[in-house]
Amino acid sequence: MKLDDPRIKGFIRDKSLFMCLECGKCSASCPRMLSGKEYSPRLLAHKLIAEPDSESFIENSVWECLTCGLCEERCPSGVQVNRFIMEMRTLLAGTKGLKGYRSHDGALHSWMRLMTSPDLKQDRLGWLGDGLKVAKSGPVAFFTGCAPYFDVFFSGIEVDTLSIVRDSIRLLNFLEIVPVVLEKERCCGHDLLWTGDRENFEALCRLNYKEFQAAGIEEVIVSCPECYQVLGQYMPEVIPEMKLKVTLLSDLLRREISKGGITFKPLKRRATYQDPCRLARMAGSCETPRALIQMIPEMGFKEMKNSGRSAICCGNSGFINCDAYSKRIQVERLQEAKATKSDLLITACPKCMIHLTCAMRDPYKHGSLSMQIRDLVSVLADQIEWSKGEERIGQ
Amino acid sequence: MVQTQLLGIFCNWSPFACFNSAAMAHLKMPSNFGFIRVMCIGRINQALILRAFEHGADGVILLECKDEDCRYGPGPEVGHSNVAKARKLLHLLGIGQSRLVEQSFGAHEKSELVKALWDFSEQIQAMGPNPAKPGQERGIQREA
Repeated sequence: MKLDDPRIKGFIRDKSLFMCLECGKCSASCPRMLSGKEYSPRLLAHKLIAEPDSESFIENSVWECLTCGLCEERCPSGVQVNRFIMEMRTLLAGTKGLKGYRSHDGALHSWMRLMTSPDLKQDRLGWLGDGLKVAKSGPVAFFTGCAPYFDVFFSGIEVDTLSIVRDSIRLLNFLEIVPVVLEKERCCGHDLLWTGDRENFEALCRLNYKEFQAAGIEEVIVSCPECYQVLGQYMPEVIPEMKLKVTLLSDLLRREISKGGITFKPLKRRATYQDPCRLARMAGSCETPRALIQMIPEMGFKEMKNSGRSAICCGNSGFINCDAYSKRIQVERLQEAKATKSDLLITACPKCMIHLTCAMRDPYKHGSLSMQIRDLVSVLADQIEWSKGEERIGQ
Repeated sequence: MVQTQLLGIFCNWSPFACFNSAAMAHLKMPSNFGFIRVMCIGRINQALILRAFEHGADGVILLECKDEDCRYGPGPEVGHSNVAKARKLLHLLGIGQSRLVEQSFGAHEKSELVKALWDFSEQIQAMGPNPAKPGQERGIQREA
């Protein structure tokens, strides 16, 4: 593949790279560059336009990006960096093979690709029980995502992402919604999409859509921001006739709770909040999680130095390129969290939870970074008042 | 009936010594195996096991040293923990735990090793091909 490839020229034009002013705001804010990695979004844009012979630099840069979207947030010219990186990765993967160092030796991508088999008979609902009410068919589904798999794979760092799913269903049951949980649901394909494996991503989209249709689903509720992004934004690109309403659990909770009649038990903790990139920057949902946190009485809340749309990445995306620089981003992020003097770090994405928990457990930091990390959904499910004489579900 | 494709991963020490002496003794071995030799079964992680299935294996058997025989120390223990986790993932995926097996051998157990290979081959042949093969692998099989 040469850089005068018309497809690359097309991406440069469509994603507004010609609008680049070379102001350098992107590189000045890029967490990967600030952690010392030889990577610069500004230089990438410059080389693409002005020095098309620097092929190896461009290829390496395309795989180095965290796709956290902070550069795009800062860009005054509206260059669509993320989308450009995604298209370039897909193109490079198709012509030169998948690159980018796969964390955990690519185990996660392996199981995602295994899920593209149409004959797969998953046994993924073993975590149900605990009095959780779910339906076999109906108009509303809850998308569980990779949580059952994460909990097995990451059992070594003791993350419990399935509790997020259980607590989500508890909250839905509390609001008298009995969601469908599909046994044949597959991974949403987020990591395959962002690492350039478009073919398998599309296969997963089609298989998931078939399952939704078979169960008569009209609305899908998701709690993971990555699933939300894929189901809401990228799946309709693959399946244009898709007529599914995709709802983020936090939006639904805010809507229902603001109707009144629901209270929260006080929680005497001091909390801070890690904005997931897919939620805060890409879905623009900064205010809703904070509004939900504020509903809990007696809980102190302090923002980190960089928060909201300016939040720093948890260090890794799509399970590629986890290295010493990712670690540095994570350590700095956790130091920001520690600086708020909080004892509870709330996040809204299972991946943030996994990556930050991993960094906290660094033995050389002697526990100086460790603090309790919980998903917003779990915090709400623990504090919500199960009044009206109802027994708390699952207790 | 479709011939199943199996992968045997040998530790270089006791199991491979068994394999060598079995071959020297002209013991008959199943023909549907691909073999890989690694320096220690502790080298094998969950990703490599899953990748074998991703590339179309119907079963994977890890052939390792006895715990106390490991030349490096924790090899077989690492193997046990990886196999335990990978089996849980295979269970979730519906591929089934029994398609991944580990077995340990002393350096003199050549007939036991050959028997283990035959038993595994028969067991997987009875189960039939792995239903969860990704698109690319099914494509290759159709062309073949």
